Amino acid sequence: MNPHCPRNEHISRRALMKGALATAAGATVMNWGGLTSTPAFAAEVAKKQKHCIMLWMNGGASQFETFDMKVGRPTGGIFREIDTDLPGYKVCELMPEIAKRIHKLAVIRSMRTSQIDHPGGIYLMHAGYAEAANVRFPEIGAIVAKYAGDPNSDLPNFVKISAPSYTGAGFLGPKYQPFGLDQNGRLPTFSVSGMNPADEQRRHELRSFIEESYARDHQAEPTRMHQQAYEQARRLQNVRSVFDVESEWQKYKEKYGDSAIGRKCLTARCLVEAGIAFVEAGHDNYDTHADNFTGHKARVPVMEKAWAALLDDLEERGLLQDTLVIWTGEIGRTPSINNRSGRDHYVRSWSTALAGAGVKGGLVYGESDRDGHDVKDNPVTEGDFFATIYKALGIDPTIENYAGIRPIPLAPFGSKVVEDLLA
Amino acid sequence: MLEKLLRPVSSFAAAVVVCGMLAGTAHAETPLREVIDAEVAKVWKEKGINPSAPAPDAEFLRRVYLDLLGTTPSYQETAAFLDDAAPDKRAKLIDKLLDDPRFAEHQTREWDMVLFGRNPPGYDSGSREGFIRFLREQFAKNAPYDQIVKTILLAEGDTSNQGAPMFLMQYQRNPEDAAVAVTKIFMGVQLECARCHDHPFEDYTQVDFYGMAAFFARLQRVEAGTNGKEKMLALGEKSTGDVLFTGPAIDATPGKKGEPIAPKFLKGEPLAEPELPQDFKEPPNIPGGKMPEKPQFSRKDAFAEWVARPDNPWFAREAANRIFGQFLGKGVVHPVDNLSDVNPPSHPALLDALEKEFVAHRFDIKWYVRELLNSKTYQLSSAGSATEAFPLYYERAKYRPLSAEELAASWRVATGYDEALAKSGKKPENADDFAPLTRGYMLSFFGKPGDGEGNFQGGMHEHLYLNNGELARLFANSGDGTLLHYLSKSEDPIEKKVERLFLQMLSRPPSEEEAKFFVAYLSETEPSGQRQQNAIWTLMTCSEFRFNH
Amino acid sequence: MAALNPAKPQHVWDLTFEGDWPTSVAFIGGSRKLAAGNREGKIYLWDIPDAPPENPDLNKGGRKRERPDLDPVRLLEGHQNGITHLISTADGNTLISASLDHSVRLWNTNLAPEGKVEAVLDMDYRRQQTRRKSEEETKKILEAPGIEVEVQRTHETLAGHADWITALNLSADERRLISGDDDCLTIVWDLPARKEISRWTGYPRDWIRSVALSPDGKTAFVCEHANKADSFDVPAPRVRLWNADDGTPTLDLLKLWTPETKDEQRTDSYGYAQTWGKLLKDGLVCAAWSPDGKLIAAGQGGEIGGGVGNVHLIDAESGKIVRTVSEHHEGVVDVKFSADGKYLLTAGRDTVVKIIQVEDGKDVATLGKGRGGQFKDWIHAIALSADEQWLAMADISGIVQVWRFE
Repeated sequence: MNPHCPRNEHISRRALMKGALATAAGATVMNWGGLTSTPAFAAEVAKKQKHCIMLWMNGGASQFETFDMKVGRPTGGIFREIDTDLPGYKVCELMPEIAKRIHKLAVIRSMRTSQIDHPGGIYLMHAGYAEAANVRFPEIGAIVAKYAGDPNSDLPNFVKISAPSYTGAGFLGPKYQPFGLDQNGRLPTFSVSGMNPADEQRRHELRSFIEESYARDHQAEPTRMHQQAYEQARRLQNVRSVFDVESEWQKYKEKYGDSAIGRKCLTARCLVEAGIAFVEAGHDNYDTHADNFTGHKARVPVMEKAWAALLDDLEERGLLQDTLVIWTGEIGRTPSINNRSGRDHYVRSWSTALAGAGVKGGLVYGESDRDGHDVKDNPVTEGDFFATIYKALGIDPTIENYAGIRPIPLAPFGSKVVEDLLA
Repeated sequence: MLEKLLRPVSSFAAAVVVCGMLAGTAHAETPLREVIDAEVAKVWKEKGINPSAPAPDAEFLRRVYLDLLGTTPSYQETAAFLDDAAPDKRAKLIDKLLDDPRFAEHQTREWDMVLFGRNPPGYDSGSREGFIRFLREQFAKNAPYDQIVKTILLAEGDTSNQGAPMFLMQYQRNPEDAAVAVTKIFMGVQLECARCHDHPFEDYTQVDFYGMAAFFARLQRVEAGTNGKEKMLALGEKSTGDVLFTGPAIDATPGKKGEPIAPKFLKGEPLAEPELPQDFKEPPNIPGGKMPEKPQFSRKDAFAEWVARPDNPWFAREAANRIFGQFLGKGVVHPVDNLSDVNPPSHPALLDALEKEFVAHRFDIKWYVRELLNSKTYQLSSAGSATEAFPLYYERAKYRPLSAEELAASWRVATGYDEALAKSGKKPENADDFAPLTRGYMLSFFGKPGDGEGNFQGGMHEHLYLNNGELARLFANSGDGTLLHYLSKSEDPIEKKVERLFLQMLSRPPSEEEAKFFVAYLSETEPSGQRQQNAIWTLMTCSEFRFNH
Repeated sequence: MAALNPAKPQHVWDLTFEGDWPTSVAFIGGSRKLAAGNREGKIYLWDIPDAPPENPDLNKGGRKRERPDLDPVRLLEGHQNGITHLISTADGNTLISASLDHSVRLWNTNLAPEGKVEAVLDMDYRRQQTRRKSEEETKKILEAPGIEVEVQRTHETLAGHADWITALNLSADERRLISGDDDCLTIVWDLPARKEISRWTGYPRDWIRSVALSPDGKTAFVCEHANKADSFDVPAPRVRLWNADDGTPTLDLLKLWTPETKDEQRTDSYGYAQTWGKLLKDGLVCAAWSPDGKLIAAGQGGEIGGGVGNVHLIDAESGKIVRTVSEHHEGVVDVKFSADGKYLLTAGRDTVVKIIQVEDGKDVATLGKGRGGQFKDWIHAIALSADEQWLAMADISGIVQVWRFE
């Protein structure tokens, strides 16, 4: 196998030397992957690539308890607003750290999307398309993995840390399927092989023979997916150490906050640093049909601390300019407060935020009306949202892939790139 | 010896000729199996599709074992079938397996997943031995499908002796959840969206939703006593109580008087309920410690009576389509639990015929399954150029991942674990479906294959288990009776060993090339038996094993 | 003083208090003056006559009502965010309010008012009337004159908290006050001196959900609990008794209730959450100490999820749970003892108040009826008058219900 991809030309010679030395010094490298798998090399690649981290607020965080306050209005709820570093713009008191970092954010307060329930919303806000009977649309993670990922990396290019997945790689195929980590960001059980490498190699050869012979007249997608996943699992052995963030966690625990979401955000940073193109970190339980206020009081502070730390950490490492950090969930929450002290699902007007690669900071885009019932100006649809994100990542949103004979652009036809958001 | 049987017995052309002959025949006089083939072939012709060849015997054998019994065949079963020269041996095998006690076991597992899933709601339904016994008995005696469903929904008796009440027990105090589950499973109607707002794409309103939920509004869990080891729970029903509707969730605020919604059959008539006696009063909770009494009028019973009646337009259609999908991989409507207008059937006339015939045969499950499995469509090969797991026009056999239970059972057969256990005279340490593997791991790595619609989603996780997990408990087991024991200890020539390896694990003999490669591989000797173990592991984890195809 | 007779409760008044949920009620001293606070931070006072009018106007302003309404007489102005608790001293000179604005305030409502202000108490009704109306008509409806009430701004403030004050209670001897906040800080106050006696912080990831003081004010009951921060990120709760003089813990009740759990397992783990969840549900959100000092009542709150929230009756000496009573569908919100300790009154997320006989846990009366769909409106707080003939309930639909016992 040729370990040299064209990207090598852009990698500094020093980094290459380091990679070679690391190998010579006995780092675990099998007979494939070669130099591209060593951490130093990956780090060099990482600096040239664009990356994307998606912070997924599962269940749908409330815009009224984050970026779109309606204090004193009947829909406003019981939180107070605080000043931010953007004069005149206030956010929820639950977000003191993010309030100091609005200069890094492009906040969108005029999301208007089409799927009001969780399954449909999760699909939509991952794929940019609503679920359809005959096409499985790829998630953003698979698209970023394909168009911004390092094709020769032993690392998976699409990683999910306890975040939901319905469609995965969709029609982009098994190569871009998400690789899931548990809620601690750890590799799953049984990630470590206890076998003698020579035996394992012989076993592998035998298995390859069987798979190749079967694939000759059996072309069903599932078998291909099964086989590619096997290869990925095997290549993972090379780069397992990338996923061991324990020592980093001990160092950065205070910064990110000693919480599950803090650990997920730190893991995301480590993985991007190691060269992975797309990492999604899920934060759960925002579906506050009951006790919306105590619910957000429990969740938002740990999340915003971790998020703020992630932005700072990426910036300090020079990675933020090449890493887009998306903050979204599948839906927003109703202006009205129900008799469970909760808010239900709402998609006519809600909020998301972007930061980092390709987007402006210190921008609050769009506005909702006085009580947050509707978008007052500059509505952003799911298609616009994803088109803008792809553009920010340097990926042309009109690129077409084929599902059967049907051409499908990355962002739905008719979506507009919100140029105002782009740096 | 087996080569001639491996070759496809006929070509696609033969299949078309048979179907063509039937195309003009009236369905009523034609066996259902032929109607299926005719309808499927009609669309092939329209679309210019070249289907795969008929499956060779070995491929058919493995498929039919997995579909009917949930396991691959043993070496002896495989050898016997492949050696049988009778022209009707496939039909005979289907008949034999339908009468095998493992058929009822496997159908029970399949339907338990439909009715409860891996993580059923409610504290009680986590262990449901009584319900499992009930289902097994129904399949064993081939109870008609409509009767089984009716018994489940009538929910009479207790959860231990009768078992049936456990299904609705999942939803006691949550009539809304019961309505969602019952309409989805037994009617293929997706009502969930109409819980909080009128359905965006379909003609279901919130009032339709609550009208269905009203049938389940009065159910209460009653602890009727214990039965030695098991709790006896009964599903009581009160004579009063309503679901209350307060309008769309988007307008939800305090102070709304909920409007009681009367039970109404979906898109049908309101339920005619007798008036309660004047001054009727009842305590808020049904007393425990004994079986609950019948209410003045039972809404639940009225629903159970209605669900399988001919004027329910969904019931028979959903049943026929769901079972068709179970065996053919894809329902004529897919996914099988969404018979919505926005999700039309791929072969409308076929679905009509399936529904009509299943009803005409009084929901006879074994008859129906026998027809499906004897069709040429079911018996197509999985080889071919179509890439989908479930080709839209059934032009190639399905690729369905084995469930966690099927994997464990098939691995046991393939490695000779069961045989060794029998030889040793020992009893298994636990009678769990996964022994000697760990239930927790098997469920977490293989428990929910796919995306919820039966599509396989590749991912490297399962390979971590396959590569580094606990499979050594099977492939490194060298007890007398295991395949490893045979490969390491037998005096048989290595060629024979390789043939046995393939027959026992993949239910087919090796190809010439495979035989050569494996013979060479196993000829090199290593004291540890590592190579034999590697060979067994390879066939346990390869794609051909992973799928039912 | 006549004891509570739960035999024939009668729903007499429905006082309109709309805008945001009424959350708290208290009768001032021995009077029929009633205070109620809401989630906007407003506190109003009503003077309840001995009997409702013989021919009440049930159609005031075109709005149909089932019971007579009454305008409040005074607005207590000062809090900047929702009121969480109201308690009055027996002499009627001090009304104590706790708020999400981080302050506890003390009001002498016997003082003369400082003026008059306009008050609108029917805002929900007005908003309903504006549906499908032109902008001009809407404006007219919303800005129509309200009623005129006295205003009182004079009060004292107990400063010391820096987060939502979610728990408040007074010792039976009225010398000590206890307050708890969302920063897990508890403060015991010398009420007459307006000074702190002690303060302590619990587990930093928890919130104080309920507090109570023994009649002599020497012992404090505190439940710490917080909602989960992520799927498995569940802070472990604490339920403890404390020495109120010096803020040292004296008895770990949760530990006592779960003897099978080893100390090292008492972590923020999902597994431990399964254990305590059965006992505490979403936290013990309300608590009361019995007048004789022998029992503590603490109610399970949060939304139970299709189940019932109960009240634990805890032996104050041994810490053991004596009895579990009440059963409010979806959770308990408030709990009070009758003056003789014979009865326990509990309010829940099912729009009802239950009266429980403490001796045997018997459910002797249920006041009200569930209102809503699958989920019911809450009765957010309850208060008994000093003579125990009147019961007030803060009903989240914008009503203060007043009931009378024979």
